[in-house]
Amino acid sequence: MEIHKTSWLMGLLVTVLFIYLLAPVILVFPISFSGDEVLRFPPTSWSLRWYEALFDNRDMLRAFWTSLTLAFVVTILSLVIGIPAAWVIVRMEFKGRDLLFNVFTAPLLLPTIVLGLAILIVFASFGLLATMRGLVLAHLVVSLPYALRILAVSLATQDRSCEEAALTLGAKPLSVFFRVTLPMLSSGIVAAAALCFLVSFDEVVITLFLTGPRISTLPVELYDYVYNTADPMVAAASVLLILLTLGVILVVERAMGLGRAFVK
Amino acid sequence: MMLERNMTASPSRTAKVAEDHLVLSEVGMTFGTADVIPSLSLAVRRGEMVAFLGPSGCGKTTTLRMIAGLIAPSRGRISVGWRDITRLPVHERDMGLVFQSYALFPHMTVSQNVAFGLEMRGIAKREIRVRVETALEMVQLGHLSDRKPRALSGGQQQRVALARALVVEPSILLLDEPLSNLDAKLRDEMRVQIRSLQQQSGITAVFVTHDQVEALSMCDRIVVMRGGHIEQFGTPGEIYEHPATPFVASFVGRTNRLSGVVEPSGRLAAAGQGLLAEGALPVGQVQIMMRPHRVALLAAHEHVPPGHNALRGRLTGITFVGDLIQANVRVGEDEITVEQPTRRSTALPLMGAEVTVSWEAGDTMVFAGGAT
Repeated sequence: MEIHKTSWLMGLLVTVLFIYLLAPVILVFPISFSGDEVLRFPPTSWSLRWYEALFDNRDMLRAFWTSLTLAFVVTILSLVIGIPAAWVIVRMEFKGRDLLFNVFTAPLLLPTIVLGLAILIVFASFGLLATMRGLVLAHLVVSLPYALRILAVSLATQDRSCEEAALTLGAKPLSVFFRVTLPMLSSGIVAAAALCFLVSFDEVVITLFLTGPRISTLPVELYDYVYNTADPMVAAASVLLILLTLGVILVVERAMGLGRAFVK
Repeated sequence: MMLERNMTASPSRTAKVAEDHLVLSEVGMTFGTADVIPSLSLAVRRGEMVAFLGPSGCGKTTTLRMIAGLIAPSRGRISVGWRDITRLPVHERDMGLVFQSYALFPHMTVSQNVAFGLEMRGIAKREIRVRVETALEMVQLGHLSDRKPRALSGGQQQRVALARALVVEPSILLLDEPLSNLDAKLRDEMRVQIRSLQQQSGITAVFVTHDQVEALSMCDRIVVMRGGHIEQFGTPGEIYEHPATPFVASFVGRTNRLSGVVEPSGRLAAAGQGLLAEGALPVGQVQIMMRPHRVALLAAHEHVPPGHNALRGRLTGITFVGDLIQANVRVGEDEITVEQPTRRSTALPLMGAEVTVSWEAGDTMVFAGGAT
């Protein structure tokens, strides 16, 4: 086995890299069980008080439900818009196809702070600030490019002869789409959905411009909280967020295997 | 002449000539500025299996896809049983297509794959179940009906694809290089199986292939294609024994090529030596061809029977392959390959020796024009 022959130096490097990447995340776990009044490591005593505090914090809970609903709606809309868009871009032959794809995915390249500012200016004049509708629209700007990119790639790598076979067997184009194209796209759809969900759930920069006392998402609420207070409750919230993210990834992994979903 | 006898025994030749079923009239295809297919006309009779044979890029698959409706011809007319289908969408054409890549639906089981076409035709669930079962029995896959295609071997997948195409009883069966992804042994089995299924159902079939053995052994007639046009359309026997062009002669079966000349007097000669051939000969520069296994290797002064050609040359190579001797003989500027079955008493001539190559006058193929 060639792979085991990598030198110890390489092994060390990978280990250091992993520690560097994961240490802050791992540190959050012990801190969340701290019994101290302030954020510090290592904690001097242990307790579950910050979890209790978190679940007693009505603003946090409200923000959590907002985030969850938002991510859910954004994911569904990303798919509903992304699947037909990807189909048109990949399958139809027309002028400006590449241009369309680039316009759709351009937000990925723009600094989010610029996007946030632009969205703020536009939304202000439409009365969309601090509304659920506004948040959904803003998050779509960020999640759609991801969805479109993943869906377009899986659609482009799909074996077209299956669709052709379905046509020759007498299936109308719409039946071909629903009976063959869509089911064959399922791994791409699950991957896109997972990514959209996480992108929306984690989004802070743009959301900061759009939230206010009336409506706020969990990341923004946490940000505000840390800005004012430095107690370990944010660690408890972080742990729950990490577990939620892991849960989403596990669902994808169960559905098709992580490698296949994202790497393909 | 074994081959010819076999061919005359094939059923479509003994049966009375059937009516034309699939007709292409002056069909052409242009991609951008390239005339992929300038103009193609042919008629496939009801119940026969016709091969489109040619090297890659000859337009055979393009033609098949135009028949299936997957691409629209730029001009011309395609009809099935006198009904014009040129502009008919794919799903209304009622054709069964078997792909080189099998193209089974990966998310459906074997029986769901086979049932798909029947469902699209709105056939009752009960009848679908019976017909799917029958179709799978026909390809000996009844026991695998609940498997996903991924869990099947290549040959099994190809049989599912065949059952899926045939179960809807299409008017025409189209096969696009169906055997080229299979290993040699499986290919032989599938060849026999596809042919017998086609004959049992009496379905009109078009078989696209680049493999001359598949075309010769499976099909009633062969269309040899090159560069988007038809070189020759005939039975396997005609194609092999009476190739219409040098391309057909060298693409179907192996062949020797000599440059020669036909003098105004009608005398045929190569390397300054006179030769016999049957039929009318074109005056001027010609290419002379004959199959290696129809040529015999003789000692320099051995007697040549009447009606046989004889050319003197020098032996430049000889290989003993057990049941065959392969020899190369230099005649003037050209080299002739001889393949001759071995006998116990065969004495191998020495390299560089003067030898005579000989073949029947009727085995000489003569084509106008110099070597290309």
